[in-house]
Amino acid sequence: MHLAISLNIAAGKGHAVLDFGQVSSFVRGAEAAGVDMVIISDSADKPSSSPFEATTLLAALATVTDRIGLVASASTLAHQPYNLARRFASLDIISHGRIGWNATLRQNPREAGNFSRPEGFCDDDFRRRAKEFINIVRALWIGWGRDALLFDKAGGRFHDPDKMQPLNHIGEFFSVRGPLNVARSPQDRPVLIMSDPAEADIDLASGGADVVLIEGQPSEALKVAVGDLKRRAAAIGRQPETVKVLATMALSSEPDVGSLQALLESSGCDGFNFVLPADIPGLQSFADRVLPELRRHGIAGQGQQGATLRAHLGLGTGGAK
Amino acid sequence: MSARQMKLGLFLWAAGHHIAAWRHPKAHVTAGIDIDHYIQLARTAEAARFDMIFCEDAAGLREANVGIASQTSRSIGFEPISLLSALAVQTSRIGLVSTASTSYNEPYGLARTFLSLDHLSGGRAGWNLVTSASPIEAANFGSTGLKPHADRYERAREFAEVVTGLWLGKASGHDGQSFSVRDPLDVPRSPQGAPVMVQAGASDVGRDLAARTADVVFTAAQTFEEAKAFYDDLKGRMAAYGREPDDIKIMPGVSPVVAETEAEAREKHEELQALIPDDVGVALLSSYLSISDLGRYPIDGPLPELPESEGMKSRQALVIEQSRRDGLSIRQLARHFAGARGHWRIVGTAAQVADELQARFEGGAADGFNVMPSYFPGELDAFATLVVPELQRRGLFRREYEGRTLRDHLGLKRPA
Repeated sequence: MHLAISLNIAAGKGHAVLDFGQVSSFVRGAEAAGVDMVIISDSADKPSSSPFEATTLLAALATVTDRIGLVASASTLAHQPYNLARRFASLDIISHGRIGWNATLRQNPREAGNFSRPEGFCDDDFRRRAKEFINIVRALWIGWGRDALLFDKAGGRFHDPDKMQPLNHIGEFFSVRGPLNVARSPQDRPVLIMSDPAEADIDLASGGADVVLIEGQPSEALKVAVGDLKRRAAAIGRQPETVKVLATMALSSEPDVGSLQALLESSGCDGFNFVLPADIPGLQSFADRVLPELRRHGIAGQGQQGATLRAHLGLGTGGAK
Repeated sequence: MSARQMKLGLFLWAAGHHIAAWRHPKAHVTAGIDIDHYIQLARTAEAARFDMIFCEDAAGLREANVGIASQTSRSIGFEPISLLSALAVQTSRIGLVSTASTSYNEPYGLARTFLSLDHLSGGRAGWNLVTSASPIEAANFGSTGLKPHADRYERAREFAEVVTGLWLGKASGHDGQSFSVRDPLDVPRSPQGAPVMVQAGASDVGRDLAARTADVVFTAAQTFEEAKAFYDDLKGRMAAYGREPDDIKIMPGVSPVVAETEAEAREKHEELQALIPDDVGVALLSSYLSISDLGRYPIDGPLPELPESEGMKSRQALVIEQSRRDGLSIRQLARHFAGARGHWRIVGTAAQVADELQARFEGGAADGFNVMPSYFPGELDAFATLVVPELQRRGLFRREYEGRTLRDHLGLKRPA
């Protein structure tokens, strides 16, 4: 049973924007309550009103927390794969292995308009581009072998050149030579998360995602989606339990714990992703009333089983040596 | 106390600025994967009242030859924006400046990211604009080759204009040669008005861009005359853009090796020099000259005639000038540049280092200095405990921060 909390800092409605102290105290509260990870997004239909951008906020949060997983949403439109790969690898090192990337699978026309792509991409091009982008990032993350760094002062060998592999990727949308100029991170690869994959994205999700977030309602559709993802993962040789499916739910201030437990059992999902409003009353109500209630019923409080986010989620290692 | 005081930046780089720094017995060899090490360095610099810490960056390896690269510690390190965002909430006063490329970013994303760093730090962020001269970086971004110098700078000029407009909340809707941006940044203004703009390009085009847009300029100058000529030239260009000379702080890099006695300092320097392998020194020199085959010339012979490159024009000229002036062989030049990478080096006691800094500061060749310790943390500690108190005693450097933001520290106007 795993628990994520999603916070879209761009979408505070009618409330003052959250400052760092408010965000960090909320995240520390979630950490104390045994939540596995907080997923921070900063993109919305209108320009973000938050002073913070998600990846920079994550770096700061990493230094004031110890155990909780920290995930940022980042889109394939707003970044270049080489830059995004090294940002997240660095975050993983800063946090001692607690980072995830929620790879945005939908094109935000507003983002395209702000990133010198006024016409955007057609859906099919966007999808092929996103897949290529994600695969480049996953490969860059393991370009350095685990034992590549020698730190041999006397012998003058800082690293083993044979354990630093260039990528030499030449594809339809990108060409990236690699390797990264950031070391292999503690999780080998930060946790890769995808949200609500469309039918055409499901093979991408079942093939590469560590965590897939799917709308929890209606429960019958969730059950079908969970089964489909795990089956497709198994079909290409992955252990189905290494793809975690969390049911995304908006949470009221009085959660119906019985129906949450029923959903968990009937759908076969691995836990919940609760979406919270990014405003102070919403966060306070969640921290003061909802979390204790969830703990009492065992929905929260079972997480953080290891030292890294991968360990919390029972995902195994993030890559070959 | 003199009215005008020098500004000090701490230039962070890997295990230290000396190419063989990581091999020094007291260097922190795992710097590139140790966040606590950087938090400690930032706190040391803050306790010494440095204006800012500065991170270099490249979006790719520094050295294409894997055999050479594996003998240095510079192939891995933190991506600087994530590093500085972490340091932002672990420090309270010191400025945080990161390098970022105008060739491999988009202005909307960069403006937002730096503004986020600025808010996280309460108004202490700065952006060092670079156009990225390395073909190694270009190969990570789908490019078939490095774009010509003039094209990179034209893109940089447009990029800087868009970023500044976004920071200042100007009306949205940019549709230019390289970029189009539809929306404004709908976020709270920077606590310091706008993050500080830093540049280091010293070519003619680079100086013009700096005179027009920069708040701080880093530069490499070995001699007083070079530093003075650069200083006067750049400040002289500013009037054309309606700016006052004091609107830019010019901060040459300096790599001091300091100890209680001069003999001890020299010994420390020699100890570092002895750790440089010849092939590493020559490779580094090649990269400054933007040529790939320096290794085929006799190492004890002179530098060959070189064509002007599309890479780092100003650095190349500096190396060639020095080789002619001092009649240095390739090996001597390589060792010399490997040590401080073409920057100014002072080896001596705190009083000697302070004398030299004071002479350039008071002689109108610098507004401050970007300090490049040869290895970390030892040489930063030495500068903080020996040189800083000496500068304070002479009234040349602050004892306490005067304000909260990086603009406050640097005495820069708040943009309207």
